[in-house]
Amino acid sequence: MIPYELMIPPAFVMIIGALLLPVLPKFFRSIWFLIVSLLTLVILWNLPVGSFHNIPFLRHNLVLTQSDALSRVFGAIFALIAFIGGIYSFHVKDVKHQIAALLYGGSALGITFAGDLITLFIYWELMAISSSYLIWARKTKESEKAGMRYLIVHLFGGSLLLAGILLHIDQTNSILITQIPQNYSLASWLILIGVCLNAAVPPLHAWLSDAYPKATVTGAVFLSAFTTKAAVYVLVRMFAGWEVLLWFGVAMALYGVVFAVLANDIREILAYHIISQVGYMVAGVGIGTIMSLNGTTAHAFSHILYKALLFMGAGVVLQTTGKSKLTELGGLYKNQQLTFWLYMIGAFSISGFPLFNGFISKSIIVGAAGESQLDWAFLLLTLASIGTFYCLGLKIPKFTWFDGEKNVKSTKLPLNMHIGMAFAAGLCFIFGVAPSLLYRYLPFPLQYEPYTASHLVETVQLLIFTFVGFWLLKRIAGGEQRITLDTDWIYRRLAKPIWNIIVIPVDKFFSHTDVIMMGVVKLLVWTTKNPMQLFNPSLKNISYNPDRQRTTTQVIISLILLCMVFLGIVGLWYLK
Amino acid sequence: MKRWHWISLGILTIISIIVELTMVSETEHGTHWWSVIPLFYILFGFVGCVVIVFFSKAIGKIFLQKKEDYYDTL
Repeated sequence: MIPYELMIPPAFVMIIGALLLPVLPKFFRSIWFLIVSLLTLVILWNLPVGSFHNIPFLRHNLVLTQSDALSRVFGAIFALIAFIGGIYSFHVKDVKHQIAALLYGGSALGITFAGDLITLFIYWELMAISSSYLIWARKTKESEKAGMRYLIVHLFGGSLLLAGILLHIDQTNSILITQIPQNYSLASWLILIGVCLNAAVPPLHAWLSDAYPKATVTGAVFLSAFTTKAAVYVLVRMFAGWEVLLWFGVAMALYGVVFAVLANDIREILAYHIISQVGYMVAGVGIGTIMSLNGTTAHAFSHILYKALLFMGAGVVLQTTGKSKLTELGGLYKNQQLTFWLYMIGAFSISGFPLFNGFISKSIIVGAAGESQLDWAFLLLTLASIGTFYCLGLKIPKFTWFDGEKNVKSTKLPLNMHIGMAFAAGLCFIFGVAPSLLYRYLPFPLQYEPYTASHLVETVQLLIFTFVGFWLLKRIAGGEQRITLDTDWIYRRLAKPIWNIIVIPVDKFFSHTDVIMMGVVKLLVWTTKNPMQLFNPSLKNISYNPDRQRTTTQVIISLILLCMVFLGIVGLWYLK
Repeated sequence: MKRWHWISLGILTIISIIVELTMVSETEHGTHWWSVIPLFYILFGFVGCVVIVFFSKAIGKIFLQKKEDYYDTL
C-alpha cells in the first residue's frame, strides 16, 4: 500500500507524464509512455477506498479522487489499454500524437476518479480536445474536417453537460457525484443527454462512426477505448435504473448492427460495433439490478480489450496496404496469417464464443434482462449478437483476408504492433477461461457461472446457424462502394441550406444597414458644412462663413427651438 | 470452406442437440416462453441472421446508401 502522503490522483500521473514527453530524448519517449501507463495502473490499483484530495472551490469542495470498486475496475482497464496501445504505437515518433494519447487517457482516468461534477466536467472537456488531435494527426483533408465536426459535437455535448451540472448544483446545493433519482427534471435531462452524447446513444452517435474511421492507425485504438466507456462509467454512477436507458440501449445495440451490415470501411464497421456493444452496457444500466450493473462493468472491461484488438487488426491492414475498404481488399491471408488469427481472437471475443472474454461478460447483461422478466430485451440483445458475429466474425475476415481483390500488396509491419495485439489477445483469452479473475473485482458480489450446459448449447447453436445464414447469403454480404447516411447528415448536408436561410439574410441585413448608415453620415457631413444651405438653396456649395451667416443661423435655429418648445407644451396639454 | 469444415460443424451441432435434450434440465433452461421450443437457438440464429441482412440491405437501398462523393458534391 502506498502511503497516503505520496498518493496523487491517477489522472495527474498520466497528465504530468504527457507534459514531460517533449523534454525527454526522442528514443526514450515511447518507453516513457509505457512506464507512465504502468505506474498509473499500480497507483490506482493500490488506492484505498474513499475520497481524497479535497480542494476548496468557491462555496464547495472539489474532490479530485474518489475511489471504490467501480472506479477501480474502470480505471484499471483504462490504464491497461493505455499500456497496450503504447506497445502498439511504440514506433510512432510524433510527440504531439503521444502527448495527445496520454492526455486523453489521463482525462478518462480523471473522470473515473472524479468525486464531484466540476472536476468531472473539466476532464470531460480535456478528453474532447486531446482526442480530437488523434483524428487530425492522420493529416488528410477528410480527417481534418471530420476532426473538426467531432470537436464541435463534443463541445456542444459538453455545454449541455455544463448547463445540467449548474442547474443541478443550484437545485441540490451539492457538487458531489451521486445517483440521481429518476425524476426527469431539466437538470438531470441535460446531464443525461450530455453523457449520452459521449456514450454515442443514437441519435447523438454520429460523431463516432464519422470520425473514428478517419483517425490515425494507432489513435483509433485509444479512441475505441476511452470516450464511450468513460461515459458508460458516469451512467453507472449517476443513472442506474433509469428505464429510458434500457430502451435506448437495446435500440442502439441493433442500430449499430444494421449500419455495420451496410458499411464498407472496416474501421467504420468496427466503429458501428462500438455503438452496438455500448448498447448492451447502456441497457444494463437501464435494467439497474445488481447483476446488470455488474454486467455493464464487466462488459466494458472485456469490450475495451477486444475492441482495441480489433482496431489494432484493422490498423495493421490499413498500415500495410493503405486501404481499409472491403471492396478494395482481399486475399491478405497468405501474407498476414498472424494478424488474421490475432484479429480472429478479437472477433471470437466480441461474438461471445466460449473461452473468450465476450462470452463471460455479455451474457451477464443478457441474463440480467432475462432474470428481470424483460423477454423482449433478452431476445433483441441476442439478435444483436447474431449481427455482431455476422459482421466482425464473418464479413470482415472473409472479404479482407480471403475473397475479393487478389492482388493487394502489403508492406512490412513494425514488430511492436503484433506484440500489442498479442498482449490484448492473450488477455481476451485469459479472462475468457478464468472469469473469476474479473468477477472478483466487480463493484457488487456476483453469483454467476457462464459455463453452464444450457448457455454453451445456446451459444454454439446460435453461432453455427448464424454462420450457415451468412454462407447462404455471402453473395450479398460484401461491402459496396457506397456510403451510408446517418444522423450526421443533419449537420453535414443540412448545414448549407440552413446557412442560406439563417446566416445569409442576416448578413445581407447588416450590409444593407451599413450602406444606409454611411448614407446618413454623408448627409450629415454635407449639412454641417453649411447649415444655411438647408434654408437657402442659393448658398449651395458655399462654405460657412461665421461673420456673415452667424446671425441668420442663430435666428432660424432659435425659431425652430421655440416651435419645438411650443409643440411640446401643446402635446403635454393634450396628453393630460 | 472445405468439406471437413462442414462435417465438424455438423458434428458440433449434433453434440449440442444431444446435450440439450439430455443434460439441460427444465429449470436450467430458463422459464421463458421459448424455452419449450426445441432447437429454438438454431432457428433464431439462422432466421435472425437472414432478417438482419435483408432488413439492413433493404433500408440501405431505399433510404440510406448514397454515392461515395455524396458529401463532396455540395
